[in-house]
Amino acid sequence: MSITDLIYLSQKSLRSNILRSILTSLGIIIGVSSVITMISIGSGARIEVEQQIERFGSNNLIVRSQSSSNRGVSMGANSVNTLTLKDMEALKEELPAIKAIAPRVSLSTQIVANGNNWLATVTGTTNDYFDLGNWKFENGRRFEEEELNSGSRVAIIGKTVQKNLFDTDSPIDEVIRINKVPFTVIGLLDAKGGTAWADLDDTVIVPLKTAKQRLVAKKFPGDQIRSMTINVRSSDLLFKTEKDVDTVMRKLHKISANGNPDFVIRNYAQFLNARQESSRVMSILLATVAGISLIVGGIGIMNIMLVTVTERTKEIGVCMSVGAKKRDILLQFLIESLMISLIGGLIGIALGLGVIFGVSEYFKWKMSLDYMSIVLSFVFSSSIGIIFGFYPARKAANLNPIDALRYE
Amino acid sequence: MININSLSKEYIMGDNRLLALDNIDLSINEGDFVSIMGSSGSGKSTLMNIIGCLDVPSSGEYHFRDNNVSTLNSNKLAELRNKDIGFVFQNFNLLPRLNAQENVVLPLLYSGKNLKERNQLAIEALESVGLKDRVHHRPNQLSGGQQQRVSIARAIAGSPKLILADEPTGALDSKTGLEIMKILNDLNAKGITIVLVTHEDDIANYGSRIIKMKDGRILEDKRNVNN
Repeated sequence: MSITDLIYLSQKSLRSNILRSILTSLGIIIGVSSVITMISIGSGARIEVEQQIERFGSNNLIVRSQSSSNRGVSMGANSVNTLTLKDMEALKEELPAIKAIAPRVSLSTQIVANGNNWLATVTGTTNDYFDLGNWKFENGRRFEEEELNSGSRVAIIGKTVQKNLFDTDSPIDEVIRINKVPFTVIGLLDAKGGTAWADLDDTVIVPLKTAKQRLVAKKFPGDQIRSMTINVRSSDLLFKTEKDVDTVMRKLHKISANGNPDFVIRNYAQFLNARQESSRVMSILLATVAGISLIVGGIGIMNIMLVTVTERTKEIGVCMSVGAKKRDILLQFLIESLMISLIGGLIGIALGLGVIFGVSEYFKWKMSLDYMSIVLSFVFSSSIGIIFGFYPARKAANLNPIDALRYE
Repeated sequence: MININSLSKEYIMGDNRLLALDNIDLSINEGDFVSIMGSSGSGKSTLMNIIGCLDVPSSGEYHFRDNNVSTLNSNKLAELRNKDIGFVFQNFNLLPRLNAQENVVLPLLYSGKNLKERNQLAIEALESVGLKDRVHHRPNQLSGGQQQRVSIARAIAGSPKLILADEPTGALDSKTGLEIMKILNDLNAKGITIVLVTHEDDIANYGSRIIKMKDGRILEDKRNVNN
């Protein structure tokens, strides 16, 4: 008897009891959709983490000024700049785990060029900023040493600024006015895209010295800076270095170990870890649901197949009397349970896809559809069908033709 | 074609041993039409099941054509039933989900005939029992007589040498029963050996040889002078 004949006979009997077949596959449906969702959440989180690293660079710590409360009155986030270039030099000297530090001053201001107006964040920094932040150039170049040292009026702009000031035209060698000071554009950065909270491409970058002299002289007097990005040599050293930076900074700023610091250290890895951890917990939860419902679904299939075998005992006898071998009967019932579980698998895949798209739309949670998960679901559901269908099928095949024929 | 030597069949039910067939000797020639009669419990159905290779004897020998049936495994028995034997049951035993043609095709499925050939054979078999226009009807859309004709079509579709009919008219009114017997008679005329189990004299009379059984033994075995 060929497989197509077996499938034909099986679908006949499944269709004669369509509601039962679908209810039977419910466990598989839930199990498979959990498997798909689980894998998507996992790979979505992985991709998101990879993207974040791509955007913000890896192994970075960000140290930022923080207004310490002054006699119980908070001075507001921007009111005090407690970090200085001296702090930066001291950190570099004291901590060999630090590979590079990019200082940063910033202001939000009006940029004018080409008759257009645009409000952007202007950053004053050094060339390290590009390496640490994973910035790539679409066009043009970095600052030259001489430009950094002399405080040249040169600027590198992001895609959003280009779009708003120059549309699609090349901005290179054009003059833009930042706070009425003319700057020559020497570079255009590659687009990074937006995050949930900021457009990373809405940026203008000028040499630190230029910024301090011409743009933020009042806001950042002397060698004050807004923040610094510290790049650590390896990810193993990241958390230890975070502590060391804290210790060194407290010493520099004369703050006791349990005193209120006037700086804050952001470890981006912390966020990524939390993100990975939460998706891991979610995945474990779903894996448990998937495992339990696949097993329960399998037992459900076994149960219903045992009922089916009993119901169709006489029919099995008839088939045997016209020449069905044990193998034919075994295969027919196995294919029936396989079909139930595969139908369940298909519905489960559809449901899982629905959940994935629903969740990623609604919660803006990155989920990535992994095609392996669909293959895996098919493997899961078909093996469940075969494993749990085998016992009933063997029971059917081992019936004695006479007893089966006489069964009422 | 059929040679049975000192064959016994014993059933063990709990502590009781039931001797359903007690040392039977019987031979049936190719082309014969044998009626086996007897009251219920006489062993006639057991004998027919063994002849039909559905059951195996407890002791003794059974040769069907060139096969020593007592020594065959379940696969070989299934093959014999499939190729050489057709069954007609009292309550038709058609599969309710399949239409007439699909029911007739069933034995051909197991013998591995291809789609075209088996559909052709099924249609021919249904035509020969006069059901050409009922091919796509399900059993519950057919009368008892029509259902029994479908089951005869199923029995002959694989061109068997032997047809075993177990009370084929038992569930039918007498007029329809006679139609069924006429079909069996025609098949016998074409050379198919028929073994019929019944407890009705007028049905048994279609046979050319009548065997009467009681308590697992053959009571009487004679040629039918009326036929």
